[in-house]
Formats: sequence, structure tokens, C-alpha cells
Amino acid sequence: MTTIALVGQPNCGKSTLFNQIAGYKSLAANFPGATVTYTKGTTYIDNELVEVVDLPGTYSLSWYDDAEKETVKALFSMDIDVIVNIIDASMLIRSIELTLELMALEKPMIVALNMMDEAKKKGIQIDTKKLEEIIGVKIVPIIAKKGKGIKELLASIQNAQKPKKRCVYQKEAEETIKNLSGCIAENVKDIKWPSKLVAIKAIEGFSECEEVVENSPCKDLLNIAKDKLNNGMTIINQRHALCMNIFEHSTKLTKPPKKSIESRIDDFLMHPFLGYVFMLAIFVAIFYGVFTGGSPIENFVISIFDTVDNYLAQLITNKLVFAIAKGAADGIGAAIGIALPYLLPFLFIISLLEDVGYLPRIAYLMDSTMHKMGIHGTSVIPFVAGYGCSVPAIMAIRILKSKKEKYISAFLASLVPCSARTTVIMGLVGYFLGWQYVIALYALNLFVIAVSGVILKKMLPGISPEMIIDIPPYRMPTVKTLLLKTWHKVKDFVYLAIPMLIVGSIVLTLISYYNLNPYINNIFKPVLTGFLGLPSALGVVLIFGILKKELTLIMLYQALGLSSISMLSSVMSPTQMLTFTIFVIFYIPCVATIAAINKEIGTKGGMLITVGTTALALILAFITKITAPLFI
Amino acid sequence: MKLVDAETEKVYRVVAIEGGCHSKDRLIKLGILPGVEIELKRKAPLRGPFMVSLNGSDIVVGRGIAAKIEVEELV
Repeated sequence: MTTIALVGQPNCGKSTLFNQIAGYKSLAANFPGATVTYTKGTTYIDNELVEVVDLPGTYSLSWYDDAEKETVKALFSMDIDVIVNIIDASMLIRSIELTLELMALEKPMIVALNMMDEAKKKGIQIDTKKLEEIIGVKIVPIIAKKGKGIKELLASIQNAQKPKKRCVYQKEAEETIKNLSGCIAENVKDIKWPSKLVAIKAIEGFSECEEVVENSPCKDLLNIAKDKLNNGMTIINQRHALCMNIFEHSTKLTKPPKKSIESRIDDFLMHPFLGYVFMLAIFVAIFYGVFTGGSPIENFVISIFDTVDNYLAQLITNKLVFAIAKGAADGIGAAIGIALPYLLPFLFIISLLEDVGYLPRIAYLMDSTMHKMGIHGTSVIPFVAGYGCSVPAIMAIRILKSKKEKYISAFLASLVPCSARTTVIMGLVGYFLGWQYVIALYALNLFVIAVSGVILKKMLPGISPEMIIDIPPYRMPTVKTLLLKTWHKVKDFVYLAIPMLIVGSIVLTLISYYNLNPYINNIFKPVLTGFLGLPSALGVVLIFGILKKELTLIMLYQALGLSSISMLSSVMSPTQMLTFTIFVIFYIPCVATIAAINKEIGTKGGMLITVGTTALALILAFITKITAPLFI
Repeated sequence: MKLVDAETEKVYRVVAIEGGCHSKDRLIKLGILPGVEIELKRKAPLRGPFMVSLNGSDIVVGRGIAAKIEVEELV
């Protein structure tokens, strides 16, 4: 099977193109680093099945962060037949630098020139024929977002050719590189890169290539080359000049409007004072909107399922069968009635935020605050993603560079209440105690995250390099993309959480049917009842919550033996509700999140976060138990 | 002068990027290298980061990095 790799710089539209070609599988968004792992898909070109790989964005073939590393490694370990290099037409100069490097790989290649519309808006007119002539690679203009040019692209992939030209430096530089690469070709056998590329990268100081050369007889040649070429700066400058040259020969610049709409919007959203006001307002509006929109639906669906329960009671006379049927019905009812009214709109809005391009702007605003926590603005991306789901949030720390900031960000991102925990905050505290408490809980959460960050910064050794992020233009996503993205995010809930919920509900009904409650509850009694003053029956709920946090609220009322969630206020006091919710916000991350943490920062980090968050949850819940009665 | 001391809405030419800057590599890839003209667009408050613009794209760099970029004003 032919394998096609989509390669390009961050935020040039690889995932959007991938989704157009292979169906919606890759989460595209409008910020650099939205894709941190590769996604594989398949499609048919002329009745022939081909494999398409969406790789994380990389600025060049030497990596700076772990997301880029994934791509570079994949490019050399996978059997790739055709490289599709996606270029953001509005960033032509710096994009061509990657194109020149990819050309050095000497593989069949196509350039997909994306976002021609945005380039035009900036006043850049690209003569694709001319550009094609200059670089010697077939170019297909596309607008991935609208699906334009995809057919032509697929057709040219079939006839993809190796690049006809190569990047040649000035005579002296070229000779120096040739000397080194000749030596590498002779002496280093087990490398997959063309030797000239290894030579250039080693001279530029890319450690992986440097090591290979330093461990070979070519070490002295490398030192000479570094000396002659000013540690690679000569090559870099020449390559940049070449890119400028290509740009000048293939484009016409018309004068863009003096101040673009972007920078006018940014005057408000990135304003030194108003920027923060808008940011706060946007987040309050989101949570308030989701809450006020969700609770009437919660009411409505619960009333329907109450009727269904009554109907079942009349229909089924066998007690055990009834118990099981009721458990299943309650499970489905709770899923639809309690989780979805909050989950769906919330995930939709998070998707919108990601796609519009607001996140890098928050990164800019929050950078100085986050420095106090030993991290920097870029970590905003995992944090905001964390409000949707902790798993992609943890994976997003791949765009961070140092070990220290990865650790801190992973710990803090796991404290951000994901959409599943949001259902508990909204559906329990919001529903019974009012929205003021919801806001208070979110504020408390942010406060705890900030304090934990400051403490972690002091505890962990090492430095955090500063942020560099490019701010993408604002883009209006289509409703279709947003719906597909929301579905992609909620899919897991539908396929995984709902079945687990039904099983969980049946287990709970069976436990109470056979009167096993006292035995199980005794296990949890010392901590839950003794320490936190909660009903010990909640132990089972919390255990299920570790499997999937969405189950927490839904199984709560069943565990307490209530026929409907509206009766919850008769068995749980407001203090207990707050204590429980605070415990749920902070305790052990769910199984999937722990797995993601282990993968990103190692098992030791995963254990520390699991133990740390649980201790934090116990302490905060205990404080709540003592202080809440004072103001409720 | 260093980029940290630059004024907003003015155009500067990059003279050098100091050694020992962890992020030099990424800066170069984003097109910020000696000889290039950049406009300082915004500074975030409270010793926050700097937003510069070059070739029509906006790039945010942390304050510490801005302190290591040597620039000269264009007149």
C-alpha cells in the first residue's frame, strides 16, 4: 500500500487537509501544536487504497520540542512513498525553508499551497507556475478548509516525482559541506538520512546529527566546517537569502490594508488592561451560558425518565428483573439527562475557542502570571484543552520544551476540571445550590492551581526556557467542522461511558438487591464518613469515577438509593454536596489520564501526580467540611 | 540596544541573537535572524512577553528572549 505523509510547519492546515482526505479523524485547531501525535487514515485514489499519515507540525528537520521530534522520527522510520508538503501561502518565506530541507530527502514530493485566500488578503499574489519552476517540485494550490483543490492534489500524488532541483549554497560553503558529507558517506553506514543533510545539520549544531559525526572519523572535519561556516550561521543566512529570493521571484506584493481586521481585534483582545477584562468575560459567559442552558434540559429529561421508571414498575412484576431494568433505564436517562446537556454545548464552545485562534492570545496575556508558576504562556494551551478533556491536555504538553515545565504543566493540567467534572459542578452544586457556588468553585480551582504551581516551581530543579509562539490569524471555522469536532470529543462518552454507566447502574442495583451495601460501605467508612462526613455509599461512586469521571454524578443518586436525582437534596446537605464536589474536582485523575501522564512524563511522574492530587483532594474536602457550614 | 528596550510601533533591524539563548534555533526558524526587519507591535503588562511582526506574521517571544535579541532602530 502506498503511504503518503502530510508534512508542514505548525498551523499550516495539515489536519484540516487530512480530515478532508481521510474522514474526520484528526483534531484540527487554530494554534501551532494542535497535533502532537501522528494519525493514520486511508483513502482511495483511483480505486487504489492508500495510507495517509498526518504528522505534527515541524518548522524544520531538526527538532526543538517533542511534537517536532515525532515528525522527524516518523519521516525516517516509516516507509513513506510520497511526501505532501503543506505550505501556508501567507507565510511563504519561512515555509520554503522546510520545503528545501524536505527536498534533500530525495523522495517523491508534492507541495500543497494552502490558504491562498489568506495570502491574497495580506496582499501576497503567488505565481504558482513560477514557483514550481524555481523549486522543481509540483505545486497544487488548495484551500483545505473548503475542500478546494483536493481532487487535483490526489491526482498529482499518483504522479509524484522526486524533486528536480537541489538547494545549492555558495561555492565555499558548498565545498566545506561536501568535504564533510563525503566523509560521512564513507564512514557512517547506518544512517537513513542523505549524508549531505546530516553534514548540514551537524554543522548547524543539531545534537542528534552532531553525535553521529563526532563518534566517527569525521570529527575533525566537522570542527573545521563549524569554524569556517560560523557554526552554521553562514548556511542559515544563505538559505534564508535563498528563500527570500524565491519569494521575490514568485510573488507580487500588492499593498495590504494598513491595519488588518486582526490587529484591530487584537487591539482589544490583547490590550494591556481590556484584554484581561475580555478574557474573564468570555470565560464567565461560557460557564454561565452552559449552566443556564443545561439545567432546564436536565429537569426535562429527568422528568421523562421518572415516568419511564413508574411505567416499568407497573410492567415488570419480578423484583430482580425490575431492579436490573430500572438500573439500565436510570443509567441511560442519567447519561442523556445529566451529562449531555452540559457536555455537548461545553465541548462545542471549547472547539470554537480552539478554532478561532484565541488560545495563543491567552498565552500572550497570561505569560507573566505563569512565570510565577515555573511555566510560561504556552502552557495555556494544555490548560484550556483540559476544560474539555484531560487526556488531550496532557498530550499537549509535548509542545513544551523543558522537563520542569512538562512536570508542572502535567500536574496542573490534571487539576483543571474536565468536562466530566464540570457536569458534577454544574449538575450537583449549580443545580441545587445556585450558580454563585459554581463560580466560587472555578475561582477556588484556579487559586489552587496557582498556589500548586508556585510550590512546584520551588520544589522542582531546572530551568524553563521562555515562550516563543506564533500568533495565527483569526479564522472562522465552519459549523460542520465544529460539529464534527464536538462529536469527535463526545464520541468517547457515547461509546465508552454510557455502556459502563449501564453496567455500573446494574451493579449498584444488584448490590442493593442482595443487601451487600453494608459490607462494601464499611471499606470506605473511615475516610468518607469519618474524615469527610460523607455517606459511605459514595465510595463505589468514586471508584467508578476513576474509571470514567462522567460516571460520578450519574451514579451518585443511584448509590444513595434514590429514585430520582431531584430527591438528592433530601439526603445530602449543601455542605456534603460541596465537600463531595471539591473532592471530585481534585482527586485521582481517571485511568485514561493516568496512562497519558505516564506516557508523557514517565511512570514516576504519574505516581506522584496520582498521590499528590489525592492528598490535595482530601485536604481541600476536609477544609470544606469544616468551613462550609459557616457560610451556607 | 536590546529588543526589551525597544518601543512599540517602531521598526527595528535584528543585529544579533546572543549566544546561550535556548530558543535561538526556534527564533531562526521563525525568521528572526540577523539582518531581518521586525516591528515591535505590543508589550504585555507586568513584565510580560513581546509581540513582534515580520513578513506579515505575528510572533510572541518571552521577555527573557527579548533581552537577548540585539536590535537597531531604522530611521
